[in-house]
Amino acid sequence: MKLPATSSSKAPVKFRMPTADNLVPIRLDIETEGQRYKDAFTWNPSDPDSEVVVFAKRTVRDLKLPPQFITQIAQSIQTQLTEFRSYEGQDMYTAEKIVPIKLDLRVNHTLIKDHFLWDLNNYESDPEEFARTFCNDMGIEDPEVGPAVAFAIREQLYEIAIQSVASAREIKISKKGRRGAEHAISSKGGGNALDLMKLFRYNSSVVRKRKEWYVYEPIVDILSNEEVDALEAREDRNTR
Amino acid sequence: MEMPQYDPNTKPEFELYTIPSHSSWFRWDDIHETERTALKEFFDGSSISRTPKIYKEYRDFMINKYREEPSRRLTFTQVRKSLVGDVSLLHKVFRFLDEWGLINFGAVSRGDDSDNRDSSLGDTELKNQVKIEEGAPNGVRVVALPNSLKPISVPNSGADGSGNGKVAVAGETGVKLPPLASYSDVFGDLVKLKGFKCGSCGEQCNSGCYEYSKQGSFVICEKCFKNGNYGEDKSKDDFRFSDLGGNSLTHGATWTEAETLLLLESVMRHGDNWELVAQNVPTKSKLDCISKLIELPFGEFMMGSAHEMNSCPTGSLNSLKEGQSASSENQNDVKMEDQVHDQMNESKQNGDAATEEPPAKRKRIAPLSDGGSTLIKQVGGLDSVLDNLEHYQTFLLMDCSDASFEVAHISTMVGPHVTAAAAEAAVAALCNESSCPREIFDGDEDYLANGLSSPTMVSDPERALQVDASKMEENQSETQDASSEKNDVPLNLRIRTATATALGAAAANAKLLADQEDREIEHLVAIIIETQMKKLHSKINYFDDLELIMEKEYNEMMQLKECLVEERIDVLERALKTGVSKWRS
Repeated sequence: MKLPATSSSKAPVKFRMPTADNLVPIRLDIETEGQRYKDAFTWNPSDPDSEVVVFAKRTVRDLKLPPQFITQIAQSIQTQLTEFRSYEGQDMYTAEKIVPIKLDLRVNHTLIKDHFLWDLNNYESDPEEFARTFCNDMGIEDPEVGPAVAFAIREQLYEIAIQSVASAREIKISKKGRRGAEHAISSKGGGNALDLMKLFRYNSSVVRKRKEWYVYEPIVDILSNEEVDALEAREDRNTR
Repeated sequence: MEMPQYDPNTKPEFELYTIPSHSSWFRWDDIHETERTALKEFFDGSSISRTPKIYKEYRDFMINKYREEPSRRLTFTQVRKSLVGDVSLLHKVFRFLDEWGLINFGAVSRGDDSDNRDSSLGDTELKNQVKIEEGAPNGVRVVALPNSLKPISVPNSGADGSGNGKVAVAGETGVKLPPLASYSDVFGDLVKLKGFKCGSCGEQCNSGCYEYSKQGSFVICEKCFKNGNYGEDKSKDDFRFSDLGGNSLTHGATWTEAETLLLLESVMRHGDNWELVAQNVPTKSKLDCISKLIELPFGEFMMGSAHEMNSCPTGSLNSLKEGQSASSENQNDVKMEDQVHDQMNESKQNGDAATEEPPAKRKRIAPLSDGGSTLIKQVGGLDSVLDNLEHYQTFLLMDCSDASFEVAHISTMVGPHVTAAAAEAAVAALCNESSCPREIFDGDEDYLANGLSSPTMVSDPERALQVDASKMEENQSETQDASSEKNDVPLNLRIRTATATALGAAAANAKLLADQEDREIEHLVAIIIETQMKKLHSKINYFDDLELIMEKEYNEMMQLKECLVEERIDVLERALKTGVSKWRS
């Protein structure tokens, strides 16, 4: 029987989002003149930069915000894009990693808590599709929830990708030789990732024990208006 | 059908689970080729987390989980919490099983609104559906997009995802199924329409009904409401109007044609200003408008170029239609430009079946027909034109060698420029269509230098060619209207190209008709010959029979003769024996 290829000695790959579409998660949180604009969406980094200003203008017009927002929005997007691009030239190790992704977000009146596993090496993964299935299965009618879920997943994947780039850089610097490098990978990257050897062993089952099911089960709560207000106030207090 | 083989001892009787016949390859103990091909990741040994054993565990778990409760639809979220592994991969396995009907085969279909699930429970739930519909908002529409383009009242579930579609498809493969959820879903809304009987007069409420707000299930039709037959103890104010034709069906998911039209108009006027657009389309919210516009094939163009379109609406409509079929395009174009040419469309219809005209040319034909009015005044020469047309038609069907003769013949009747035109067309008709415009370009310079009448005459024959002789009288006025006319020199070129191509088209059509006639003739002749042969055969058979009969008769006659001879001999012998000495003759 063919042995599965060892996953720890993979060649480095150029940085990109480990999903089917290489989209950058962009988060905006701008406050001017007492008005606060919070938003989160995905951006295609291969779009020309002129699109950023166009987008900012359109957003301001659609939401009827004061015009000062245009420059601020454009700047913020631009900064995040540049940051993403700075990573792009570099290598990252895509050692096979199945990472746990946790969702804990509130969109309008819907509160979502979820916990599941995601394979970083799967370049055909699609957070949007996951979000669609999720909303469908849970019967969520608010159309803003889907994109928010997909965004949260993307953000976490982005973080992890950045971490792997950082760890790749450190490994190069340390230059401790091959074995040392492997050791470094497993110690650095292993914080998040699951120990595949343990989980997918021949004599263990991939079916979870029943008592663990609740951990990985999604929880969707529909909040009432008062609860929403309370939560919002608490969030504001936390961020300030 | 497939039976669970894993625990025949614990279950007192076998449970039957239905799976579609195209999934009959499925076995519990084994992994089939289909699975290996579809889910390669598990079988290529690329990772320790993806092995055949793991795949089998996933698969078995999902199928068993579904079979715990076959009538309810298993969702991915329910299984993924119990399985360790990448959710995308799990989803892939789940989708695979779903598509092959190994899970969710007998389950109720997925729908956007809860009422669709209810509809599968049967018609008895119909009346309650109105109430539920009120509550269901414009939800997350995660269905296959193309279906939602239909503006007719095919309801939400008609746009269901692949799961539902597969249920319907699999149902045709002859496996015994629970009631076809898909049928009632697709026609659920239509059935709903018939579900309302007026409480007071007992008739069907078709378009709208008044629902008694205090007690939900009582409805009366519009007529009764107007007449005041409210029923016992009910007053006018208690009734709420609910438009069956409009409300439940256009509740954000289906767009009627009127609404789509309204939406397009408002977008053209207001461009990106969605508030105004939403205001103009009364029954749809802003979100609906935007999503509907995106779904329309040209929606994005409209959003971008709304302002340009304002200036040339017909132009844009033209370009829109050009994207569709060629021949209908032609008709639409002409129709739009000039209403006089209604009958012209018929002629074009007859004409253009075989050839394609470059779309650019069509726009030029449009200005051609625009000009028209100057020629309405030209009444003279009708008769000659008529004769010319007749001759022209026959002319095209004839041989090249006759061309000059015909041209000469025509020239005796009408002016020289017509002859030139006919000659041009002769060459055009007998050559390839593609070279036709070039020929005409290279042709007589004085063809058009002659002035107004020649193009008109050329266009006349071209138009008439495509029409039967009987229709010619009707079309005469139109042909003259239709043909161009501008005195501007720059337009000559355009006119030339247009007429040249049109002539080519006419010629090809004529040839086709001729071929068709030939074939008809051949066919008929063959039939005649066959019938003659049959006649001859039957005659021959008849004569054969006669011969047989005659032979038999002849044989009989011979036998008779022999008998007679024998009898005579007999008689003679007896006579001799009894010693009759002398013959008494």
